[in-house]
Amino acid sequence: MASITRASVSMPSLSTSVNQSQRRISVMNSVSFPVSGRSMIPSLRLQRGLQVCCAAKQETVDKVVAIVKKQLALPADAAVTGESKFAALGADSLDTVEIVMGLEEEFDITVEEESAQSITTVQEAADMIEKLVEK
Amino acid sequence: MLSFLRRSYLNFSFMNPQYCCLSRNFSAALPPLLPVQLPSRMETHLWYVVPDEVKSAPLLSKYMELLPQSERDHVLGFRGDQLQKSALLARTLVRTTIARYQVDGHLDPRSLRFKRNIHGKPEVEWETKDGFCPPPLQFNISHTSSLVACGVTINSLIGIDVEEKRRRTKNNILAFAKRYFTAHEVEHLNAIPDSELQQQEFIKLWTLKEAYVKALGKGFSSSPFNTFTIRASSGIAVETLDSPQNLTNNWQFALLELMGSHYVAICLERQETGGAGKTLPIKLTARKTIPFVEDELVSGTNAVVTIGGSVTQF
Repeated sequence: MASITRASVSMPSLSTSVNQSQRRISVMNSVSFPVSGRSMIPSLRLQRGLQVCCAAKQETVDKVVAIVKKQLALPADAAVTGESKFAALGADSLDTVEIVMGLEEEFDITVEEESAQSITTVQEAADMIEKLVEK
Repeated sequence: MLSFLRRSYLNFSFMNPQYCCLSRNFSAALPPLLPVQLPSRMETHLWYVVPDEVKSAPLLSKYMELLPQSERDHVLGFRGDQLQKSALLARTLVRTTIARYQVDGHLDPRSLRFKRNIHGKPEVEWETKDGFCPPPLQFNISHTSSLVACGVTINSLIGIDVEEKRRRTKNNILAFAKRYFTAHEVEHLNAIPDSELQQQEFIKLWTLKEAYVKALGKGFSSSPFNTFTIRASSGIAVETLDSPQNLTNNWQFALLELMGSHYVAICLERQETGGAGKTLPIKLTARKTIPFVEDELVSGTNAVVTIGGSVTQF
């Protein structure tokens, strides 16, 4: 919990331009957080007004998150949201293909390789699933 | 100033602050990079770093200082210590390695600029000053949390992929292969009765296929894995589905076992043949390195074992 506090306090300094060594050091000080400094609130519904009505989208995102966590062996309480990038979470190309395969099985869809490469975040995966499921 | 710097290293959480007996004082400036000769047209250079062997917090901090802000942000965007460290080492390895070849007459890894070609493959963006014609240096990087590697050639397109031998897929291997590999490759895997060996064969195939796609430089989606077969019975060759009768002769492969723990697959654009269509072996020089600290020539030792393809190590 303390580390999350540190993360949320230190976020503004990440955008500070770091020309002098002292400021550079202070950025280094503030960026060591073990969890993503992005939104800690798992539900996107509150964050993105457009999605308030679409419970399916949240459910899709949640399923994608579960598959990603399983593939990357992340703890259940790891902060993974729509914005989370697979690569940043530690997914290499084999993990990404396995995640896509997991999504195909979960949602009974087929993802063409051309589309697979453009999926880099949880939200992109969820959006693509929604499109394919609609067909 | 120095103690302030030292204190700040401890907060860089992926750095181990317990390394107290530094033989070099990295609170001061980094020593100069030792230059190396460019590979000849027939040679491939393989450089690698073992992240677990790089423990000095001040050294890692210095590596970070070599990177432009965009690359630092990229490194810090990775979740967790290990991922950040291997991402940092990958950028450091590619910058210091290319700088050491002194292509533009000086050795500053900070001044290198990179761009992506139209397909997204990273390339060096050389400064074009006064009739300077940069040599056609080709490189490719691959990393896992336990190994960071960079392959370099002159002129020959190169793709490399590294993977831990013991890497396990979450999905069943044959189910995965049926979905993503070609029928021939599925047959090859299916014919292996021992599950441990089957797992290793799968990883070898995966790294070879990745290396090929990375050498082509057009991305995974333009060369889906089920559109080409890697045949690895005698020698290694690639056969594309659209011309099944002709083994695609433009590419040659090497498969290495590194330190007994990793597979390294290298795919190279074939430059010359030995006459009558015969392929010359890949001439490989492999070095383990810690940038600014040490190099160890490991080709021809137990650290680098050729397990596929025709390779001469020296």
